[in-house]
Amino acid sequence: MSASDPQQTGDGREGVADRPLPESEAPPSLHSADPRKGGQAPGAPRHMRVLAGLVLALGLVLALAHGLLSRTVEDLTVQREDRRALVSLHALTDLVERAEGSGDAARAVVSAWQDQMRAGSAVRVIAFSGIKLEASTFPEDVGDKAAPRRLAREEKPIYDRGQRLRTAVETNQEEGGARKAELETELLSNGGRQVSAPVEVDGSVVGMVEMATAPQAPAPKPGLGPLLLWWLVPLAACAGASFVVRKQGLRVVASVVAFAVGLGGYAAYSLRTLEHEVRESQEVVAAQLRTMAERAATVLAEQQLPAEPALRPGHWDADEFRRPLGLVSPAGEVDAAVLAERVEEVASGVRRTFGGLAVLGLAVLLFIGMGGLARTVETVVEHRQAYLYIAPAMVGMLVLVFFPFFYGITLSFTDSNLYNSSQPLSDTWVGLRNYVEILGDFTIAKRGSDGALVFNYLNFYYTLFFTVVWTVTNVAIGVSVGLGLALILNVQGLAMRPVYRVLLILPWAMPNYITALIWKGMFHQQFGVVNHVIRMFGGQGLAWFDSPATSFLTALTTNGWLSFPFMMVVSLGALQSIPAELYEAARVDGASRWQQFTAITLPALKPALVPAVILSVVWTFNMFNIIFLVTDGEPGGSTEILVTQAYKYAFQRYRYGYAAAYSTVIFGILLLYSMVQNRLSRATEAA
Amino acid sequence: MLRSRREGMPHWPLHVVLVGFTLFTIYPILWVLTIAFSGNQSLAIATLPEAPTVMDRLRAITPWPETWSFSNFVSVMTDQPFAKWMFNSVVVALGTTVLGVFLACTAAYAFSRFKFPGQRTGLMAFLVSQMFPGTLMLIPLYIILVQWLGLGSSRLGLIIVYATTSIPFSVWMLKGYFDTIPKDLEEAALMEGASVGRIFWTIILPLAKPAVAVTALFSFMTAWNEFILAATFMDQEEMYTAPVGLRFFVGGFSQQWGYFAAGSIIVSVPVVFLFLYLQKYLVSGLTAGSVKG
Repeated sequence: MSASDPQQTGDGREGVADRPLPESEAPPSLHSADPRKGGQAPGAPRHMRVLAGLVLALGLVLALAHGLLSRTVEDLTVQREDRRALVSLHALTDLVERAEGSGDAARAVVSAWQDQMRAGSAVRVIAFSGIKLEASTFPEDVGDKAAPRRLAREEKPIYDRGQRLRTAVETNQEEGGARKAELETELLSNGGRQVSAPVEVDGSVVGMVEMATAPQAPAPKPGLGPLLLWWLVPLAACAGASFVVRKQGLRVVASVVAFAVGLGGYAAYSLRTLEHEVRESQEVVAAQLRTMAERAATVLAEQQLPAEPALRPGHWDADEFRRPLGLVSPAGEVDAAVLAERVEEVASGVRRTFGGLAVLGLAVLLFIGMGGLARTVETVVEHRQAYLYIAPAMVGMLVLVFFPFFYGITLSFTDSNLYNSSQPLSDTWVGLRNYVEILGDFTIAKRGSDGALVFNYLNFYYTLFFTVVWTVTNVAIGVSVGLGLALILNVQGLAMRPVYRVLLILPWAMPNYITALIWKGMFHQQFGVVNHVIRMFGGQGLAWFDSPATSFLTALTTNGWLSFPFMMVVSLGALQSIPAELYEAARVDGASRWQQFTAITLPALKPALVPAVILSVVWTFNMFNIIFLVTDGEPGGSTEILVTQAYKYAFQRYRYGYAAAYSTVIFGILLLYSMVQNRLSRATEAA
Repeated sequence: MLRSRREGMPHWPLHVVLVGFTLFTIYPILWVLTIAFSGNQSLAIATLPEAPTVMDRLRAITPWPETWSFSNFVSVMTDQPFAKWMFNSVVVALGTTVLGVFLACTAAYAFSRFKFPGQRTGLMAFLVSQMFPGTLMLIPLYIILVQWLGLGSSRLGLIIVYATTSIPFSVWMLKGYFDTIPKDLEEAALMEGASVGRIFWTIILPLAKPAVAVTALFSFMTAWNEFILAATFMDQEEMYTAPVGLRFFVGGFSQQWGYFAAGSIIVSVPVVFLFLYLQKYLVSGLTAGSVKG
């Protein structure tokens, strides 16, 4: 077999002789990575470092490669078995169709078919007219349950499956495409598989054929021999080389070469294994096709079924839309060109994977070999107390803050959604599509049929515009009201100041989700207090959440209510820190009140107010609770801000990837904002 | 009588403005009190007759219940699972406080007292992490916590998330305070041969008690008031926290405003007083750290 070939080739001979060496050397070399002994001392420890790097890097990479290879081989085996089952099913379906899908002829076909199947397999034929089980070789369908009979109530899932297939076929015919799967495959509880195909007679689906296959033998695992060989031989070679070579640089080069040889060797082995699998699959399927074609021809003759049109075995090896895969020629021969293409496809996949592994392994190797690890360990040990104190917090932050952040960004390049979130991200990778969709869509508004502007509230730029309006108005209200109240409260000798202060701070103290729900209640159309007030003055109550403008007003009121106390407290603090002497002096100099305000009060407020404004811009921009709980985007998403829109995409439309891209854009905006703000504040400080 | 002695400018216009604003400010609070003590579930303060007069209308907006009753408070705690939700909130908030403050104290101490590679980077990373948008974190956090760790609808999961997300703010706050503690004390202790751990536990922490207390109270309040994460992770009704539960009373088609109002008051009273006590620390802490979100 090709799989064992590489074991006997090339440099293996001298490597085998040296094999005990690296094994006995490896443990001490691992310890020598400890910087307290290593690092400074020339010679032995440093050369051990290179070896240790090679042991780890090559071992890690080969273990990964081995795991991937096993999985791929297993996938290929499953695929092959599925194709075999499908070929058999299609051949049978073809015959059943020739027998018009029902009656004794169909039963005869089925029983003739059953003879040549593996033990544990079974077939059933369903006819839609009369909801009948036409034929069955399932063990449970014997005695009074033997076919033909009407389907029982508990067999409804079978009938439903048939109807699904019929709908799929009809839909695809109508659309002239292949969108819905025309075959169903299901994993049975005993490990076998069940495949179902529609029966078409004169262009319409009249029934279904189902075939349950016996459990498959477990896929053969790739052996550990090649793995060990390509791990130990380069190690031994490298160990030998490092005894001869005295220069550290050359040793590193030697280890890189050894690494390349090891990985390359295993890559070649994987490539051969997979190629062999693919070729064998083709052979097996082709053989199956030939057998089935023969069998079908026999049954055809036996049952005297119409032989026109001729059987087309090539079409039996088909995908889930019943389109021929084209891997096997109609006559049942392996198509060499297509096969070569398929092999090339697999090979390029293998090359890509090993390329990635090589980069990873080289990074590990060089990191350890060049002393990066040793230095890192040294630093950690030197500052171990500091790192010990940081570690718990840092680990938490890494796992639950930084990792999710980068995972989220990765997610933004995928089409991940509710239905495929269990798939690996590489399967749903869509590159920049989400970003293009978000940022490249400029249809903010279009003319409706009556000439009026119709806004597309889901458009990113509309939401961005709304968010900016929302932020600016809120901060403006917060600052003006807060500053105004602070100025009033700061008046000398004002009675009852502490009482006002405490009462005016209350909105800030209330949990904001409660505030939001309270205001939502007060804006209720029928019973809300706000509408009562309007009616009291003779007006009509408004349906606040039915138009974007009024809906915006409710959110604005709520947020204004809860955000002015912050500005007030900040301003008041700054105002009280202004020494009274300044005003005295200004008065003595004859400054007017306005002049005092602009020359003393405002400059004194600035250091406190500027950070507060910066902060409250970010807060308002991200004010999820108010929008989510008060307007909930009503009407029609017109009052969503960016963060609530992103949330809706994730948890109401379940487009995780899109929502992640949306959030990344939001992060970009915030980052830009803080950078500009930093630049500005530095400039003003310098001035 | 409301005349400023020095300027001769009257104070009463200011009082008019202030009283007006104060009314606007406390009206929603009075409204929720009224609903809570009204004893029924309607969000109307008074039922209006067929042809309401102005006086009827005025009655309907006056925050004073038609009849006083404690029934909303009693039944929200007994008939409704609100007591259970409160319990969840208490456990989560206390757990968050303990875990978050412990993590933050040790980290802040290291950032304040040691010089080590990565110190500046670490501090900056903490600061930058405050800018990560919640929705971006929410999806991966959901995947990690619910799908990988199986901590969906669990108090522990929520505690871990709250504690880690509160770390940056707490670290900056505590580091600021640790920086003000003179190093002489520690140097003296080091001379005496005390270990770093001993210094931290027996000298620094007791000295920093006020800052630690304030940080702890903030952690508690943040966890107590958090809504989005709890709403996303706790999807079993019995594991709701109080905020999610309150929204449950009046969200969607549910209109149990009486329960909501009573529950809101029970939930708010402790944090409102806590807040009033803490707000002076909050302002200085926030404005000192500049941009945080």
